[in-house]
Amino acid sequence: MYAYIVRRLLMLVPVLFGVSIFIFVIMRIVPGDVAMTILGTDATPESLKQLREDFGLNLPIYQQYFEWMAGVLTGDFGESMRTGKEVLPDILTRFKLTFELTLISAVLSWIIAIPLGIIAAIKRNTKTDFGVRLISLLGVSVPNFALATVLILILALFFSYSPPVGYVGFFEDPATNLQIMILPSIVLGTAMAGAVMRMTRSSILEILRQDFIRTIRAKGARERVVIFQHALRNAMIPILTIIGMQIGTLLGGTVIIEQIFSLPGLGQLVLTAITQRDFTVVQGAVLFIAFVFVLINLLVDLLYSYLDPRITYK
Amino acid sequence: MSPLLEIKDLSIDLYADSEKFNVINNINLTIEKKQKYGIVGESGSGKSLTSLSIMNLLPDALAISGGEILFNGDTDLTNLSKKEFLKIRGNEISMIFQEPMTALDPLYPIEHQIMEVLKFHGSYSKKQMRQLAVEMLEKVGIPRPQQLIKEYPHQLSGGMRQRIMIAIALICNPRLLIADEPTTALDVTIQAQILDLMNELTDNYDTSILMITHDLGVIAETCERVAVMYSGEVVEEAAVTTLFKNPTHPYTVGLLESVKSLGDKSNKLYSIPGNVPTPKQLTGGCRFASRCPHAMEICRSQAPPLFSIDADHKSKCWLYGEEEVVNG
Repeated sequence: MYAYIVRRLLMLVPVLFGVSIFIFVIMRIVPGDVAMTILGTDATPESLKQLREDFGLNLPIYQQYFEWMAGVLTGDFGESMRTGKEVLPDILTRFKLTFELTLISAVLSWIIAIPLGIIAAIKRNTKTDFGVRLISLLGVSVPNFALATVLILILALFFSYSPPVGYVGFFEDPATNLQIMILPSIVLGTAMAGAVMRMTRSSILEILRQDFIRTIRAKGARERVVIFQHALRNAMIPILTIIGMQIGTLLGGTVIIEQIFSLPGLGQLVLTAITQRDFTVVQGAVLFIAFVFVLINLLVDLLYSYLDPRITYK
Repeated sequence: MSPLLEIKDLSIDLYADSEKFNVINNINLTIEKKQKYGIVGESGSGKSLTSLSIMNLLPDALAISGGEILFNGDTDLTNLSKKEFLKIRGNEISMIFQEPMTALDPLYPIEHQIMEVLKFHGSYSKKQMRQLAVEMLEKVGIPRPQQLIKEYPHQLSGGMRQRIMIAIALICNPRLLIADEPTTALDVTIQAQILDLMNELTDNYDTSILMITHDLGVIAETCERVAVMYSGEVVEEAAVTTLFKNPTHPYTVGLLESVKSLGDKSNKLYSIPGNVPTPKQLTGGCRFASRCPHAMEICRSQAPPLFSIDADHKSKCWLYGEEEVVNG
């Protein structure tokens, strides 16, 4: 098991290496560069050239890459070309927000989705089931930004409530922080819940058809035991797969939701950095997001083997 | 003394495409205490449905439409609430299934799956339950039960798993053990071992067996009485020795013939022509008429009742029409 974990972590190296080359090259192929965005359209060719030389952008691309990589390998992701701030601490600060947002959204979605999915499976083809399926379809298909806007509007118009402006960290002021986080979490959680609900329903239905469920009923188990101890646990693997992918994606930042609720998260950082062609920030953030995504996948794989004794890693 | 289980005029209907089809038609069975009773029939004859209806485990699309199932003389199993049934299942009546490979929950160790039954039906400490489970595993012939109890189903062979199913089924000392094709999925060498084990254990526990099988050999080896089912009906019912010596219903004769021809290398294998009619194809007459070599005019228009051949032998065939009528 430990050997497996170590091997998986070692596999991070080629993955991150590939990602780093990809993003490095892409950023340099995209038209426009940081010098142009800083100096604006009236800049003289001389001043542009001067600034590019300051950033080392005149060097051959492989040399730029090696210089950047040398820094990254020693934990120095460089400085933002726009703000001069160090890249890594900035990413980590924003990741805290994104992490909290992901966590609350995910927990909210599980609380709604898993019980409803189970109920829908048990009451298959009844009105309850159709109701749950309708809700989950809405959850999956209503766009985030639409739900977010409607939510803000309803709260403002009918309840004269608007969430606090300006982000406050959880450990500074939990009450305000939660007020800020809850609306975007509901919006994100709804979309996640839709998918999880559908997967829970179909996965439980699949398991309830299995022979061993009949054995458990034949033993005299109450329906509660049948569903929670046996059906749900067996159904958890596909549900976990979906949840893992959702969390991996969300941890990479949610550009639109962060924009609507003006949250300074990872998504916003990347978006701003891209429009400003802030190469170092984009590269650092993308590398970090890839790292987190791979780590979440590893975590999900380890959870599989915890849930199912047939899955072992050597 | 009242019999252990009495199935009276049981009918089961299948609901599909908002239509209703009869799949079990007015069957009557009586299983005495400590008796080993067999139901034999081919796929689709309704033998498994009969056993599932005793356990109230029929799939959603099927429902009992008439008759009663009396347990211990007075308890009508078709009338029990869900809660009352929980006390019967696994405790008074237990069941083992055909597929040992898929009949155990893959995520729990053997220990959990055996102790679970004890938890449902008694109040034991964890230590007592583990003790009882280990003892039971010894009885079903599992080597090293102390270690094996910690293993998961996928680590065991089919024969081992069927032994564990038997352990689970018998640990609460049930009055009736329903065995639905318990050896069909096993290697031939293991089949005899499992049947012997079931015979021996049920003798020790005074448990009756209802053996559901398509294999007349299994019936010969384990049962005292047997009912032959065809297309949802009991077509012949007799003591096992009588049935083998003196089969009366043309279907039973055909079944025995197809087994006998297996040992005879000179002849072609005998088989009954045609297939079991689907519920949609049923007409008013005898359900076997379309495949019967002796079919007469009356067979196609009117379903025969169960005629008594003698006191202990009944046959649902017009060939025996002159005898006394049992069920009007």
